[in-house]
Amino acid sequence: MKNTSPLLLVVEDDPQFRSLLTTTLENQNYSVVAMSTGRDGLVEVRSQRPNLLILDLGLPDIDGQTLICRLRTWTDLPIIVLSARNQESDITLALDNGADDYLTKPFNTAELLSRIRALLRRTAKLPNAIQEIFQVDNLKVDLTKRQVFVAEKEIHLTPIEFNLLSILVRNAGFVVTHRQLLEKIWGASYVEHSHYLRIYMRQLRQKLEIDCARPRYLLTEAGIGYRLYDGEN
Amino acid sequence: MKIPWNIFFHLLLSLLVPLALTLVAWFFRDILIPSNVLLIYLLGVFFVAIQFGLFSSVLASLISAAAFAFFFAPPIFSLKIADFDNLMGLVIMLIVGTVTSKLTENLRVKSKLIENKERKASALYGLSKALAESRSEKEIIHVAVHHIYAEFKSLNTFLFPDRQRLVHYPDESPLNISLQTVDLNVANWVFQHGQMAGKDTDNLPNESCVYIPLNCSLGTIGVLAMNPIELVEEQQQFLETFVTQIIHALERAKLAEQAKEATLKMQTEALRNSLLSSISHDLRTPLATIIGAATTLETDAERLTENNRKKLANAIAEEAQRISDLTTKILEMAKLETGEVVLNKEWYAPEEIIGSALRCLDKKLKYRQINLHIAQDLALIHVDAVLLQQVIVNLLDNADKYSPVEQPIDIFVEPNTSNLTISIADRGLGISENLLEKIFDKFFQIHTESAQSGVGLGLSICRAIVEAHGGEIHALLREGGGLEMKFNLPVLEKPPVMDLEENGLTL
Repeated sequence: MKNTSPLLLVVEDDPQFRSLLTTTLENQNYSVVAMSTGRDGLVEVRSQRPNLLILDLGLPDIDGQTLICRLRTWTDLPIIVLSARNQESDITLALDNGADDYLTKPFNTAELLSRIRALLRRTAKLPNAIQEIFQVDNLKVDLTKRQVFVAEKEIHLTPIEFNLLSILVRNAGFVVTHRQLLEKIWGASYVEHSHYLRIYMRQLRQKLEIDCARPRYLLTEAGIGYRLYDGEN
Repeated sequence: MKIPWNIFFHLLLSLLVPLALTLVAWFFRDILIPSNVLLIYLLGVFFVAIQFGLFSSVLASLISAAAFAFFFAPPIFSLKIADFDNLMGLVIMLIVGTVTSKLTENLRVKSKLIENKERKASALYGLSKALAESRSEKEIIHVAVHHIYAEFKSLNTFLFPDRQRLVHYPDESPLNISLQTVDLNVANWVFQHGQMAGKDTDNLPNESCVYIPLNCSLGTIGVLAMNPIELVEEQQQFLETFVTQIIHALERAKLAEQAKEATLKMQTEALRNSLLSSISHDLRTPLATIIGAATTLETDAERLTENNRKKLANAIAEEAQRISDLTTKILEMAKLETGEVVLNKEWYAPEEIIGSALRCLDKKLKYRQINLHIAQDLALIHVDAVLLQQVIVNLLDNADKYSPVEQPIDIFVEPNTSNLTISIADRGLGISENLLEKIFDKFFQIHTESAQSGVGLGLSICRAIVEAHGGEIHALLREGGGLEMKFNLPVLEKPPVMDLEENGLTL
């Protein structure tokens, strides 16, 4: 049993919070290794090859952002960052540096567990490439045929609209930052042109959502980016 | 070369006037007796006196005398005067001419003086009026530089000390009439000693500029540096009056600023006190529950029924959440207060921010009907989305707290010519009219000690955020009952143009 359960690495300097995380995660039958410094965390990533890293951004020895950058030079290990500061800029930077998801302290553990499950699910799928047909509720996106359906009715999208949607589909359930979207769709020189993104997001919502102000699929993470609803909470 | 020409012209006229009169009188020589001719010459002398001053009029009267002797007093065509009466007349004319010329000259000088005084008075009036209308030190300096230049035609600049008590140029970019060739070492010497220095003064007379200390009851507050100008004593005094006026205005601005700082300090003090009392109450109560419940779970877990264990755990979670909300609000307010918040403005679609705010309160508003009245295709707004979302969340949270759950909440988003108005309206009990502004005060609570009450910061945070965006927020009583929280965001700039996709290109 223990051998098959995914190994989670927790890097958090506060002892109480570390112990809470360890207890909660072990209770969910995950194997947990907990470290208090970034240096130890890096060592453990190399030696233990964990399935997922939960990383506190405010570490005493290495800056969390630096740690993410260093890891991303050689591994795709899924990373969830924890930020105590509720600072969108820190979170955005971490995501742009390659973190997969984030939580701001305080958070409830159910939220953490659902993010962990979603990330592990995604990595499990990865080797066999991305599913080419994505479906959630009434929305169906066929990435190969480049077709989009809402309630069985085909919706016509412009190339950019489809491009935007397909990036979100490939990351369904995870937040994609404004910067990442702008860079992937329009190119690196457009990362400051956030209004492009707003206009196309509005158009996309007008085509796919019933009520643009209360989107069901294309969710806004204020100050950070967009997340496509994937059926999970 | 202008002045010699002027004098030459005066002299020429003082020659021409008697000659012209001679011609006229010659024409009428048969009907005019010599004494009348003398009176005509006298008239000419007066005219010259009034117009050109003493010297010219004496000249004119001498020429008149000669002309009279030559043309009118027998024997004619000779400077001899045979008739004693004519001689007497001529002598009297000369005396009268000279005396009156002297008198007119005095009058002329006096009226010139008065004119000069009036001009100065009006210049001073103009300066003091402009100074009185200036509201900041910056404006005062602006006015002062302009007026000094207009009056004395001298490039000038004001230098003020920094924290290290060293004077330097103003931070603003210099005006085209600002003096920019100041020796700051000299300026600092003047600032420290409170004495004038520079060209033609007792200190450092070889300098190219003049440095005047701005001395007032607060000590030396700065230095005026100007290009040297040739000033007679009277103008020197005038410059001093000018500078004194400017110093007074600066002093007034400084004192006003100090008073403002003192009030701010008092307010901060008061804020700190209410913050402490509010923290001690609003944080301790939930902490008591948490510590109590947690210690019971720690020591008595085996004896508790499953149901009671759950209840205690639930209490811990709920109260902790409450503390978390409170701390977030207090920190946020503190950040806004200290001006630490830098608006991270980006272009957003208004409906998008409303949407993300609604999603934050998804669980809370599960059973509540929310009616959205949002205009179609609103222009993008340049805002800090995270903060603006916070405003909407706070307002929605209040509307939810203080109105019955079966009543809907309305959200209106309306564009106007120069702003975007957003309002969140409930059908609760409303509040009494005299509290409509008070609810935005920090730590103000209508229902103190009630379970629903927060720390009284939600609306103050809203106001601080909206004002940071240059907008206003107000509470209004709603027709048909309830409270409407209405705020606007000025739309100052249009979203940048973007290259749109070609429309024909659909999939």
